[in-house]
Amino acid sequence: MECDRATGMLSPLVDSALGPFTRWRVRRHVAGCTDCADKLEELHAMQSAIRTKLTFHRAPPNLAARIGAALPREVAPAPSRPWFRMPAFSFGSTGLAGALAGVALTLLVLGNQNSTQRLAMQDVIGSHIRSLQADHLTDVLTSDQHTVKPWLSARLDVSPPVKELKGQGFPLVGGREDYVDGHPAAVVVYRHDKHVINLFAWASPGRSDEAPREEARQGFNIVTWRRGGITYYAVSDVEADQLADFAKLVAEGT
Amino acid sequence: MARGYRSEDALPKDDRRRRFELLALPHLDAAYNLARWLAGNPTDAEDVVQDAYLRAYRYFDAFQGGNFRVWLLTIVRNAFMTWVKENRSGRMVFVPDTPLAESADSDETAWGSKPRDPEALLMESIDSQTLNRLMEKLPSDYREVLLLREVEDLSYKEIAEVTGTPMGTVMSRLSRARLALRKLWLDHAELENADGV
Repeated sequence: MECDRATGMLSPLVDSALGPFTRWRVRRHVAGCTDCADKLEELHAMQSAIRTKLTFHRAPPNLAARIGAALPREVAPAPSRPWFRMPAFSFGSTGLAGALAGVALTLLVLGNQNSTQRLAMQDVIGSHIRSLQADHLTDVLTSDQHTVKPWLSARLDVSPPVKELKGQGFPLVGGREDYVDGHPAAVVVYRHDKHVINLFAWASPGRSDEAPREEARQGFNIVTWRRGGITYYAVSDVEADQLADFAKLVAEGT
Repeated sequence: MARGYRSEDALPKDDRRRRFELLALPHLDAAYNLARWLAGNPTDAEDVVQDAYLRAYRYFDAFQGGNFRVWLLTIVRNAFMTWVKENRSGRMVFVPDTPLAESADSDETAWGSKPRDPEALLMESIDSQTLNRLMEKLPSDYREVLLLREVEDLSYKEIAEVTGTPMGTVMSRLSRARLALRKLWLDHAELENADGV
């Protein structure tokens, strides 16, 4: 392969975007051409510089809520015409429609509560899995509880307890903000041996306290409880007993 | 009655919305980062992302499966282009496909002369602040392909989808974007050297 032709192929070579044959030919040329080898090295250095050093701008914490608030307004209601809007049931005609609507509403609220819990659970597990896969376990990486707590408080409308439980075998790793069920949530991250424990907390104003409840989902153990208008989900792959101990330590004094 | 109507109507809509949120919210950072780098400031980036999410929600039923992030980034990019037209007409610098780029020896020419000390000029030694500044100086379609490639780790095919350009153009644009960034870096390094002496 000629040098000027190979030069033009260096960028796709860096991107692994060449077919096997072309890749082989370019590589063979580069092996015998210091000029092209230098250029290739420069491109690799640039690639790694961009990948490791370019600032990644994370979405501001209020953006999800802002979008959530804008969503329904933007969408026109479905053009369907429910039966109770038909003339026979128009305003004041009969109490029956109102009564039926009331029943429907009650059923709906009950149904929604369950599905809200289910979706929160899905989100929490999904977020836990992502936190293990991606390099996104923590936004603030520190074992100092006095750094994590103000960091979370400054960003979110909840101020979950951030405790140093190192002595009890659960060292604090850091914190991050996340979204659960469309709402911002604080996540305090702990470790137990090699296992990560994500403690999610979000505001549930006006909801009554609930005692810790243990569950197992998709291979993870989960303990949920609510206290003082904050809902907690502790998720991890540590043993159920250990997670229960952890939850007890966290819940103490909240 | 009115209450009954709303709640009755809300059920299918809520499910749709939840599905949307489950799919779209995990990519909020990616969407914002792209918008932030394209728009150049947080306020406009937020507007662009919000507009993009509303569009995505509106066309959610048109999503045919596949990579949701790619689909969403396409919409973010389109929302940005619309925003540019409405807010910045005439002030946007887009580099046209120059004849130079299409000529056979373009890359060879663009590489230019070899730096005197290639070791020292490897971009490995760059700091984040300088790299950010150089990226901001790049024409936006160069910046865009570099972001999609290096930060979002998209394939040429996916970049072609997001930017609505043929794959061949993606390939040459990336190549030129890298050379443009290299030139900015060499100029910067030379300036630093001159200052240091």
